[in-house]
Amino acid sequence: MTRKVAIYGKGGIGKSTTTQNTAAALAYFHNQKIFIHGCDPKADSTRLILGGQMQETVMDTLRIHGAEKVTLDTVVKTGFQDIRCVESGGPEPGVGCAGRGVITAIDLMEENDAYTEDLDFVFFDVLGDVVCGGFAMPIRDGKAQEVYIVASGEMMAIYAANNICKGLVKYAKQSGVRLGGIICNSRNVDGEKEFLQEFTSAIGTKMIHFVPRDNIVQKAEFNKKTVTEFDPQVNQANEYQELGRKILENDDFVIPTPLAMHELEAMVVKYGICD
Amino acid sequence: MNCEVKVKDRIGTINPIFTCQPAGAQYVSIGVKDCIGLVHGGQGCVMFVRLLISQHLKESFEIASSSLHEDGAVFGACGRVEEGVDVLLARYPHLKVIPIISTCSTEVIGDDIDGVITKLEEGLLAEKYPDREVHLLPIHTPSFVGSMVSGYDVAVRDFVKKFARKGPSNGKINFITGWVNPGDVTELKSLLAEMQIDATVLFEIESFDSPIMPDGSEVSHGNTTIEDLVSTGSATHTFALNRYEGGKAAQFLEKKFKIPSIVGPTPIGIRNTDALLKKLSEATGKPIPASLVRKRGVALDAITDLAHMFLADKKVAIYGNADLVIGLAEFCLDLEMKPQLLLLGDDNSAYVNDPRIKALQEHVDYPMEIVTNADFWDLEDRIKNKGLELDLILGHSKGRFVSIDYDIPMVRVGFPTYDRAGLYRYPVVGYGGATWLAEQMANALFTDMEHKKRKEWLLNVW
Repeated sequence: MTRKVAIYGKGGIGKSTTTQNTAAALAYFHNQKIFIHGCDPKADSTRLILGGQMQETVMDTLRIHGAEKVTLDTVVKTGFQDIRCVESGGPEPGVGCAGRGVITAIDLMEENDAYTEDLDFVFFDVLGDVVCGGFAMPIRDGKAQEVYIVASGEMMAIYAANNICKGLVKYAKQSGVRLGGIICNSRNVDGEKEFLQEFTSAIGTKMIHFVPRDNIVQKAEFNKKTVTEFDPQVNQANEYQELGRKILENDDFVIPTPLAMHELEAMVVKYGICD
Repeated sequence: MNCEVKVKDRIGTINPIFTCQPAGAQYVSIGVKDCIGLVHGGQGCVMFVRLLISQHLKESFEIASSSLHEDGAVFGACGRVEEGVDVLLARYPHLKVIPIISTCSTEVIGDDIDGVITKLEEGLLAEKYPDREVHLLPIHTPSFVGSMVSGYDVAVRDFVKKFARKGPSNGKINFITGWVNPGDVTELKSLLAEMQIDATVLFEIESFDSPIMPDGSEVSHGNTTIEDLVSTGSATHTFALNRYEGGKAAQFLEKKFKIPSIVGPTPIGIRNTDALLKKLSEATGKPIPASLVRKRGVALDAITDLAHMFLADKKVAIYGNADLVIGLAEFCLDLEMKPQLLLLGDDNSAYVNDPRIKALQEHVDYPMEIVTNADFWDLEDRIKNKGLELDLILGHSKGRFVSIDYDIPMVRVGFPTYDRAGLYRYPVVGYGGATWLAEQMANALFTDMEHKKRKEWLLNVW
């Protein structure tokens, strides 16, 4: 049974980096078969798996060659540890409808039977926030059943995580999607772990893993690789291996209870991040 | 090559031949008994389509709209679907099936109609209507994809997908008519009856040629029942007469339930009707009875009186749904006529590989043009500016102005035909359809001979 997972989180928080590093660790250390579907119009969700190679996106193929030319051969590329990758793509900033691009790309992938049964995981790496119906596509009926939100101890990241939870609640009833936890991608701010622990327990979930900040991630990125591919011996590779294991063994899926604005603000004040 | 398939290379459309996908889904939905489609979009998506269907069939029937407004476009409008389903159920006690048909606006904003159905099933239906049989199904028909033809195809597949169940073989064939008229359904059912073939006819709109009865019951409805739809999973074969209007459902049934599918031929003309009967006979083992040989003979007799004397070499332009247009072109060729221009109103990329189009390309021995994604300007421009000479136009009523402006006789065929009385009652398929078409074309030419004083005396001595 393939587990379909959607990764959400504030823009710039490190969703794509975390997704690719976790996917690489799941494949390398835990022998999992993985498919990554990038749902960000910037189409940068798979480059570390593919060694820096930018792939032609589903929407580019559709626009240039027509929908019938969108086949697995043309848009799915295989990278590190046989991880299969596809990028939805989408319009340039300021024009068109990126949300529609996500819907169309996922529909086309399903029509082409891209998410085969031999897969252990399909990861949907989704742009910043659930800003419209299109960006909720990965958590609709029959699609991703579990969601992880990438956050840090910064106020805006928590705000965004809380907002995403509001979107999740909306879909929980009609599609059965559940929150699997919050991944802390550490920014090394004060009291980060405690803040996230309090926030996650307040919304009824848990911090599934605290990924420490480590320059090796950037270094691997410069080399167009995930940490695991770059050097599986380093500590950060262990961290992603650990995150992978926790996701693999996770059986704690909830409908979150997002906080009201004043509760959230009180929590922010408590951890002194506003001062 | 004498016969090229071109895509219209002009940007933009001047007088479209087709309308959009939700129209096709709505035409399918009226073929189902105890069913009212709920179109999730602006009111125009129902109003204009319902008007078109109503003008065509001259009947009254129900289709609902979620009536999207500005607030719905911004905040999401699934709530209107929830409310709409509740209102429909409260108001129509007989109602059992509500397809939720999406449109361009609701597809773009990403309203999750699949999800809202799950929510309604677990909420409203379970709580407020627990003792009532109600089926909801999503039909995704964004208007900016495909055309009314693909919308019909998608909707047929989605209805079948929703209901079909595998049971012990019911010994029947599934018979998907495609986008036809009540008269066509009558003709097709009579072919099946003569062959003594037990068939589930989908989506059955025969009764849209409906009476006004003493008790005042005059609302038309389709005759395909839920039981019919469920049993499609237990059939021996699926016949989809029209490749682009039911082909997807046949494919689905073959893939999911291993039911062999026979796609085509669109039984327009003697040759295609013969081919269909042969395929029916091969699939079911039932012989073609003498009564059908006689019907065929009647059609041949009618055609023989007309073909060589009046129809031969007449230049024709044909536009409309691909299966219809191709079928008509094949029939015209058999009648010694010369179709010059075939206009298909959408850009389905499968058209260029259609075996029937390939056969035309192989056999036509004079220049013939096939244009996809075509509009009425493709027709008018060729007549007005490019020296296309025509004796006859075959197509639906939306092209009537080309016929009027350039004084070219026209036989109305296809959808919609609202500017002539009662056309929905007559078949274009089967031997009956072959007779009717040949005679209609001849009569249109006769009227034109009189009107233009061209050998009209010939009609005195014929």
